[in-house]
Amino acid sequence: MKAKLSVLPLAFSALLLSVPAYAHHSFAAEFDGTKPTRLVGKITRVEWTNPHSYFYVDVIDAKGKTTNWGCEGAGPGALSRRGWKKGDLKLGDTIVVDGYRAKDGSNLIDARRVTFPDGRSVYGGSPGDGGPGDNGTDQGNLPGAAPKKD
Amino acid sequence: MTQPLLQHLCQVLYDSHVGTGIRESDNAFSVIESVHVLSVTLLVGTISILDLRMLGIILREIAVTRIARSVLPLTWAGFVMMAGSGFLLFWAEAAKNYLNPAFRVKVVLLLLVGLNPLIFHTTIYRRVSEWELAHRSPWRARVAACGSLLLWSGVIIAGRAIAYF
Repeated sequence: MKAKLSVLPLAFSALLLSVPAYAHHSFAAEFDGTKPTRLVGKITRVEWTNPHSYFYVDVIDAKGKTTNWGCEGAGPGALSRRGWKKGDLKLGDTIVVDGYRAKDGSNLIDARRVTFPDGRSVYGGSPGDGGPGDNGTDQGNLPGAAPKKD
Repeated sequence: MTQPLLQHLCQVLYDSHVGTGIRESDNAFSVIESVHVLSVTLLVGTISILDLRMLGIILREIAVTRIARSVLPLTWAGFVMMAGSGFLLFWAEAAKNYLNPAFRVKVVLLLLVGLNPLIFHTTIYRRVSEWELAHRSPWRARVAACGSLLLWSGVIIAGRAIAYF
């Protein structure tokens, strides 16, 4: 019994130290860094969820055909720290999403940069997920950004 | 209701205030994940000591019962914390977990890993006084030890794999 009681405070103090940045799965598990993609479309659904957020946009192509795309971003905690709050994306808003396509060819991209209707851009990826140009901070590298010395 | 009852229950949990609150939280989700991982290390780390002793790999000069007495309270503390934090994570993601193949494998493995000590403690461990000093425990105890090590490894692997489906 004595042992049982001493474990809890130890574990709780350990958990207090372990809160910061937690990348759930790596970039390479799901996305292809050689397929940068830009989507311009209207928001149809928002999932403000852990461990990753998802939002969906209707994209209309040159032939007038509408396709619904999923966009995966970091979790609520990481996005909030970058100034992207829960209600910032509203259904029907037109946004620009730059990211990389899913490896399995589905209509899903890793949303590394999201540009809101007011022109504000937010880095949407998970810091340190190993994606292209990722430098382990919440800045990361964005597709279409000025070329960097590689 | 066309969906299975279990799926419906998962959806109810998922849609509840607590489930949604954890899922949409800035920090709670990752804190609970950390507690979950720490308690798994406590549980599996301590039970492995007993398993390895019964296999005759470590601490062979020490009686099995003595090791069990010092280790099992910690194992149970780890179990309680693991189950509690695990349920909170499930609460937040229940509707998604229901459809996740890795999660289904994990649930089956958890049932098996619970059955293992139940069988062990009601059979061979009842006669532990006859073999507690043996450097290598009888084959039934060694089978239980191997089962414990393998099944817990499987639970951890399946749990980690949930994120990749």
